[in-house]
Amino acid sequence: MNKTMGVLIVGLALVIGIVPLFTDCLSQGRMLTTTAGTNVPMKCHWTAIAEIGLAIPLALIGLINIFSKRKETLGSLNLLGIVLGALAIAFPTVLIGVCAKPDMICNMIMRPALILAGTLTILSSVMVEVKAARMQEIAA
Amino acid sequence: MSLLQLAFKTISGNSFRSGVVFLCALLVAAFALFTTLLIRGAESSLRLAIDRLGADIVVVPEGSEAKVESALLMGVPANIWMPRDTVQKIAAVNGIEALSPQLYLATLADADCCSVSEMFIIAYDPQTDFTISPWLQGHLGGGLRLGEVVGGSYIFATEGLQNIRLYGYLVTLKANLEPTGTGMDQSLFLTFDTAQDIAYKSTFQAEQLLEIPSDQISAVMIKVKPENDPRVVALQIMQTVPGVTPIESSNLFQSYRKQMTGLLKSILVILGITWALSVALIGLVFSMAANERRKELGVLRALGATRSFIFKSLLAEASLMAFFGGLAGVVLAGLVIFLFRKLIVVSLGIPFLLPSPLALLLQIGAGLLLALFSVNLAALLPALRISRQDPAIAMRE
Repeated sequence: MNKTMGVLIVGLALVIGIVPLFTDCLSQGRMLTTTAGTNVPMKCHWTAIAEIGLAIPLALIGLINIFSKRKETLGSLNLLGIVLGALAIAFPTVLIGVCAKPDMICNMIMRPALILAGTLTILSSVMVEVKAARMQEIAA
Repeated sequence: MSLLQLAFKTISGNSFRSGVVFLCALLVAAFALFTTLLIRGAESSLRLAIDRLGADIVVVPEGSEAKVESALLMGVPANIWMPRDTVQKIAAVNGIEALSPQLYLATLADADCCSVSEMFIIAYDPQTDFTISPWLQGHLGGGLRLGEVVGGSYIFATEGLQNIRLYGYLVTLKANLEPTGTGMDQSLFLTFDTAQDIAYKSTFQAEQLLEIPSDQISAVMIKVKPENDPRVVALQIMQTVPGVTPIESSNLFQSYRKQMTGLLKSILVILGITWALSVALIGLVFSMAANERRKELGVLRALGATRSFIFKSLLAEASLMAFFGGLAGVVLAGLVIFLFRKLIVVSLGIPFLLPSPLALLLQIGAGLLLALFSVNLAALLPALRISRQDPAIAMRE
């Protein structure tokens, strides 16, 4: 199961890291014009950037899940996986957010995709965590 | 060892087989729930939109029926006009209890003077209106004043806490209507006076003038007397008033209903194929498992397990995998449809409203039952065959 979950987490990390880059408003050529006349990216772009930073350690956790058999490693790493999954949800919803208009691409695709991927990451990490705890119980 | 313990042990002992059955159950349940939610959501959304409209008949300029439907259902602005004296002509028709004209307007596309691009605006006559005024009376304790608006559920203030900029004119958002899942959620409602004031001030405040042709209206909402048949009244309007088309509220959104019927047929075909393939695959997996486990089950029989115990343990195994697979499927489908509902509405071009919690629970239950039925149906024959085999022959093979 750990290997399957590891592959799933790597896939989810790819979704979290890549999908926002193609579904933020900047990717559609939309920017904010300041009173000074300069164009700046909207906040969904910064969410997309933050998600890349989050996807890298998550992918590493997935890879370690595939190759590691040590229950202590799996147990502690997947706790981090749960936190990263929660952060993947928190960036577009609470911490940074996305654009306000409900019909913008970041609201229609990026935000729900990140919430879904974050939820699945948390579930997968919880499953490995439970499995690791059971392995520790059996070993004891 | 109990029946369930044995089933759990067998499931964890063969992760590949269990995984395949789990995935098939997940697919069947997820697809069934997704389809049901989508179709039911579209139906309830249409019904709610007709209720929100509050009129028995909508009279529009001849040939603009599709535009009006698109405007009301998908929020695509409609620019349609007919002479204002149409109201008097329609009022002369027998069986009409109340009628009220409306103006259909829209904000400019990508203009700095409008906070929201191409938003559908409905202006109503507060003297005669019977569609939105009762709601306003109930929720705001009175009608809208000059410069005040109410919005659909998606409308929010863009300038400060309560204001929206329309053609350079700041209107005050007083309240939001309950969601319908249609274009009305993205529409703005204001009085004729506010519309005229915006149009007047747009000459010096907006990038482009808001034009409201004098003595023109876009549509007339009609309430028919309870004792009269709306169909007969609509027919009379068609015969006596030239250049207009009366649409009965029950006939509204016909093109969308046809589109939904087509979509439903396609989805049902795909669901049928998915279901048949899943049942066939699960049947195959169970047949292979039954062959693999002949010796093991033969030993169980030799140790005293009855035929019925073997049969029940195989079905318990199938039911457990179906339950957990189905549960994962309905959770996934529910999550996907909840999170991506706006994308589904835009890409399929149909309205959508999430069902009530009770209706959702019923649909989730139906999805789970379908998964349980499908997996048990596929496992039935292999389970029957293996439970009837002779233990001595099975162990010798």
